[in-house]
Amino acid sequence: MSNVLAKIQDIRIDVRVTRRLRLRIVDTASLTIQKGQLLGLIGESGSGKTMLCRALVGTLNRRGAYVHSGSIDFEGIDLVKASKKDWRNIRGHKIGYIPQSALAGPNPVMRIGAQLAEAITQGGRKSKEEVRRRSIELLELVQIRRPEVVLKQYPYELSGGMKQRVMIACAIAQNPKLIVADEPTTGLDVTVQAEIMELLRNIRKEFDTSIILVSHDLQLINSVCDDIVVMHAGATIEKVPSSKVTAALHPYTHALYDSRIDLVEPRGKLRTIKGQPPSVGKWPTGCRFADRCDFVKDVCRSTDPTPFVQVNDSQWSACIRHKEIYGGAK
Amino acid sequence: MIRRIREYAALPGGFGIICGISMFLTITILGFARPLFIPYAPDELVGDGLAGPSWQHPFGLDQLGRDMLSRTLAAVPADIGVAFLGVSIPLFIGTLIGILLAFAKNKVFLSLVGSIIDGINAFPLLIIAIAMVTFLGPGLFNVVIILALMNWARYARIARTRAQIVLRENYVEAARLMGYPRRRIIFKHVTPNVSSETLAYALSDFILVIVIISGLSFLGLGARPPAAEWGSMIADGRVFLGEAWWITVFPGLALCWSAVSISLIVEGLSRRDRAS
Amino acid sequence: MSSHLIEAKKLSVTFNSYGFIVPAVKEVDFYLDKTEVVGVVGESGSGKSTFARVLAGLQTPTSGEVTFKGENIFKGNEAYPGELRKAVQMVFQDPYSSLNPRMRIINAVTEAVMHHQNASRKDAMEIAHNLLQRMGISATDARKYPSALSGGQRQRASVARALSAQPEVLLADEPTSAIDQSAQSQLLELFAELIATGLSVVLVSHDLGVIRYLCDRVYVMESGIFVESGITRDIFHNPKNPYTQKLIASIPK
Repeated sequence: MSNVLAKIQDIRIDVRVTRRLRLRIVDTASLTIQKGQLLGLIGESGSGKTMLCRALVGTLNRRGAYVHSGSIDFEGIDLVKASKKDWRNIRGHKIGYIPQSALAGPNPVMRIGAQLAEAITQGGRKSKEEVRRRSIELLELVQIRRPEVVLKQYPYELSGGMKQRVMIACAIAQNPKLIVADEPTTGLDVTVQAEIMELLRNIRKEFDTSIILVSHDLQLINSVCDDIVVMHAGATIEKVPSSKVTAALHPYTHALYDSRIDLVEPRGKLRTIKGQPPSVGKWPTGCRFADRCDFVKDVCRSTDPTPFVQVNDSQWSACIRHKEIYGGAK
Repeated sequence: MIRRIREYAALPGGFGIICGISMFLTITILGFARPLFIPYAPDELVGDGLAGPSWQHPFGLDQLGRDMLSRTLAAVPADIGVAFLGVSIPLFIGTLIGILLAFAKNKVFLSLVGSIIDGINAFPLLIIAIAMVTFLGPGLFNVVIILALMNWARYARIARTRAQIVLRENYVEAARLMGYPRRRIIFKHVTPNVSSETLAYALSDFILVIVIISGLSFLGLGARPPAAEWGSMIADGRVFLGEAWWITVFPGLALCWSAVSISLIVEGLSRRDRAS
Repeated sequence: MSSHLIEAKKLSVTFNSYGFIVPAVKEVDFYLDKTEVVGVVGESGSGKSTFARVLAGLQTPTSGEVTFKGENIFKGNEAYPGELRKAVQMVFQDPYSSLNPRMRIINAVTEAVMHHQNASRKDAMEIAHNLLQRMGISATDARKYPSALSGGQRQRASVARALSAQPEVLLADEPTSAIDQSAQSQLLELFAELIATGLSVVLVSHDLGVIRYLCDRVYVMESGIFVESGITRDIFHNPKNPYTQKLIASIPK
């Protein structure tokens, strides 16, 4: 299908701890993103979702991590093998990145205008007037009022939500085909979160941009995205349209969904997932969810790795027993 | 045992830490155990002055005919021992004062001690030490006193800043909510989290203090002859550098060896810290 | 004489920031009854955390008073003097700074048990182990340092420490906002169990889902004042204040 924009296949990401010690942080992760799709990537801390994003925007090596094997096909280019020069034409131009709001933000010692100008002129030369016009256009696009004033301000003068809008403006400055948003609203207020989500949806609608939205909040992802990809202990284990999340084909997805507190009466019995997620470097062999799964059988622990396979035209699952448990594809 | 060391060495920075510790232990043990395996006393005249290295005297003899190997090792208690005192006393005093400052509320007291600390820290330690020696007179014992009197200020500043942060941490607030007595909070909850920081500084300070001790001795303000001390040995040998390099080179190497061993430990520890 | 367990009257807190007077909490009235669970909901900067710290006695109010069983909690320079101290305990938002990093979990809890329950070290250790077990922390994990535990486990260990004082009121300041979803539901389930045993709780959160799940009554805070308060169900079904309406509309469906 030519509708595919990017395809990550069986990727494994390692991180160097010492000269000899390597740690696997992502293993057997695959996902496909269509043009104009809003894809939610969900996982708990340590599931490798942030590393997968870094692989997509080519910033893995800054933390001593690298792609061990697998490929990322983006419009016919393998991003894993892309050179620094290739990346210069991809990063920002074709793939935009919105960082985690709590950790990163606009450079605190640069005016908003200067940072936008940097994002706008990337690689090409543009006149001052052109840059200014485009900056204002972008700020209006992310619904910042009085853009002329904001251009002259420093980040500390803006609220958290405003800063994140500026980051979004930077990310879309070159009309990228794909935007990777890594927990863009973590730490922001719920009302601001709702506004930012609305904004991302509008951008997608207006420019037909594909967006990967990363979060640990299933409720949020479910309400915003078309498709959900679930990561657990470094692997992608489920892909399901958000409309069919109750018919998911992996016990982990069900467990996550069922543990939502808005499904029960106040102080009612919650269906929690028992135990702790396996920590990086201590993944069990076989299905890495086996220890916490209600349906576990010996075969789950002996099949390694559990293949991530397409079950029907919209759903993928890494549970080898999904047919037994959920009665096959519906 | 060997397996555990291997495992430790595989951790981030572990290799450097193990190298540093073994280098440091080597020179310290050799230094303190010297009388057991070297037949010559450090101030015994055993041959002609300025005799070069030989099988009998691997480090050669100095201008008076004393065995250089014996002297170099005999200087270990003077240099490393005095440096140990010169670091641990200020470490203890400074950490305690710093923590008390973080707790203190009296503004007059705070600004008084604060300006003393800043005043002392305004000068390089070596300059203060030289100035103080002119009051107290030369000698290793006086060097220890000077370090105890002056070096605590650096530790106090680090400890105060760190303690102020720790006091705002939730676990200290939780301890206060528990109604623990103040002394328990200071010693069980605040001090361990402050001393980890000052201890780290003490390690790198150790190198500086060894250099200060030998520097003062080099200037004739530290160890008094005929005591063996690296700095004064280097000073003695300077005149004969052309004809008898061994008088300066071996004490110098010993000095380097100790400094490098500790900086290997410091580097290893900080690498381990960064990795976690 | 009031019959409330905790009551705050005309409570104000202002901060002095480089010469500027910044009000954080403005003349709020509040009460908590025995075995009641009350939520304080608001967004960042609304003053809800400051308010919780005043109730805990960690922050002295600029004006107004807080009473516990009718007695003013700020007497002299100590909050909750003497025996009252253990009655109100707190669980903090950040699981990474709630526990002393240089103390094993079991020792931190044992310390608290020894201090409050007059037990020998051996008995206290046993009580602590049982308590941690109840919070879902195994004996093996209990012997670890906080850095070896996940955020959710640390948060449950903090709850264990708070409970070892056998408090009457538990204050929780955003206990779930920094931990993973599966850990969140584990912690909330634990809270529900504790509430069932009759513990009074003040829960400060920005997460309306958590508030709805646990609280009997709720106060909605905006810029230092309570703009609306009432029974949780009423507030959720029929919010009167525009700010409350906006908050509720922002919950992802």
